[in-house]
Amino acid sequence: MTRALLEVEGVEAGYDDVRVLHACSLEVRAGEFVALVGPNGAGKSTLLKTITGLLPVSAGAIRLDGERIDGLPPYAIAARGVALIPEGRRLFAPLTVRENLELGAFLPRAHGQEEETLRLIFRLFPVLQEKALAPAGVLSGGEQQMLALARGLMARPRLLCLDDPFLGLARLVTNRFCQAIREITAEGMTILAAGQHVRRLLRLAHRAYLLEEGHVVLSGPGTGLLQDERLRRSLIELIPGGVDQPTG
Amino acid sequence: MSLNTLAQALVSGALLGCFYTLMALSFSMILGVTRGLNLAHGDLIILGGYLGYWLWSGSGLHPLFLVPVAAAALLPLALVWHWLFHRLPEPRELSSLVLTFGLSLLLQNIMLALWRGEYRLIASESLTGSLGLGGLRLNQGRLIVAAAALLVVGGLFLGLTRTRWGRAVRATSLDRDAAALLGINVDAATRTTFLLAFCLCGATGVLFATLHYLYPAGGIELTLLAIVLTIWAGVGRLRSVLAAGILLGVIEALTLAWSGPRWRELVVALMLLGSLLARSGGLARGWSH
Repeated sequence: MTRALLEVEGVEAGYDDVRVLHACSLEVRAGEFVALVGPNGAGKSTLLKTITGLLPVSAGAIRLDGERIDGLPPYAIAARGVALIPEGRRLFAPLTVRENLELGAFLPRAHGQEEETLRLIFRLFPVLQEKALAPAGVLSGGEQQMLALARGLMARPRLLCLDDPFLGLARLVTNRFCQAIREITAEGMTILAAGQHVRRLLRLAHRAYLLEEGHVVLSGPGTGLLQDERLRRSLIELIPGGVDQPTG
Repeated sequence: MSLNTLAQALVSGALLGCFYTLMALSFSMILGVTRGLNLAHGDLIILGGYLGYWLWSGSGLHPLFLVPVAAAALLPLALVWHWLFHRLPEPRELSSLVLTFGLSLLLQNIMLALWRGEYRLIASESLTGSLGLGGLRLNQGRLIVAAAALLVVGGLFLGLTRTRWGRAVRATSLDRDAAALLGINVDAATRTTFLLAFCLCGATGVLFATLHYLYPAGGIELTLLAIVLTIWAGVGRLRSVLAAGILLGVIEALTLAWSGPRWRELVVALMLLGSLLARSGGLARGWSH
């Protein structure tokens, strides 16, 4: 078996005095799309923030390619090739689309390939090229989400983390977005995506983890997990109206 | 109003506007990276002016040479402010007001002790004399100072938009976490911002002291103007700050030329009120993301 690109081992983390993650373990191998699903408050976002260094680890270890990255500041983790598209996009609203993308390539490792990555991104999302000089704040929700993803890609990450990528997107936009993610995955990008759109994520994923109250309670191939009774109990009963939109 | 007066007013208004821009930029940069309001901002500018005055009256050097000296002299204070702001408890917006109000009083009293309450001006002879320009007589000193202020504004704009550290500072001031995720060392960017903002305060102070009398409590008005401009323009919007600064300067100078000093403050206050009514301001929007 190939060595995992990302290993999370017995991690405990949380906010000031509330521990959200308890002995959380998972791994992501190179080239994989791994989904992280679970009910609201299970710790999905917390885990992504802990991996990227925005939250401190109080116990356990996080390794990237065998090297410990827990305890490093966020910029140092980003420099090792981990990117996070945060919940709510967090674009630089007054800056133009182009400036947002350029900031995505801030790291020296990405800077040299800026032009090449830009071409790739404009092919993937032509609308970003059309609106390159518009302030990011005036884009539609779907375009903003594309820009957030594109900004993350500009860093040429080895591991791309997505936090609730489909939140608040119309179904058509979500379809296009999924298509883009498929293309990126096909080019070999390793992705760890968390979110509430369980069906969407599990269909995209090679493997998936179900997180409940800060523990990994279930893992397996994405489509397999979709059939699992425990997942159905955990999510379908908790979220009124079901796991996802009916066709999602 | 004659054409000459009008032209004079426009030139000095644009010059004042450059000051205002520099002042508001350094204020809003600190607000952006720390979410803290620096109420001692104007006092730091006045301190820079006093340092310039002190060096000028001691050495007789051309005031323009003293601009970088005063800028560098405020660097140690930048580190002190950075250290203090780093330890602000939540809510930072509020605790920064308490902290910097105290620092403002402290600075005012230090300046009062060092230079007493008398009005001071860098009245260098090298800045007097006037220049004929197509029938207009323009104050030569003002033009030189305006050119220096424009140079600083231009350099700052280039620095903030074209260089790597400038982009890091802008991104950090807009969204700290998002910047960190892109590989920007936000703590280093914050320190850079303080150093740069305090340099600007020192430089602005010297330029200010060639045109306006200094007195220890003069910083309060400057702080208020910086806050007003930040409300108009928003945090991290460079062009808006420049536009708002120059607009304020020109309107102020035109009011002065047209009706004398008694309407000046009223017009500024009405402009603030009007812009707040017209749209919910940039300050609030700058914080919302």
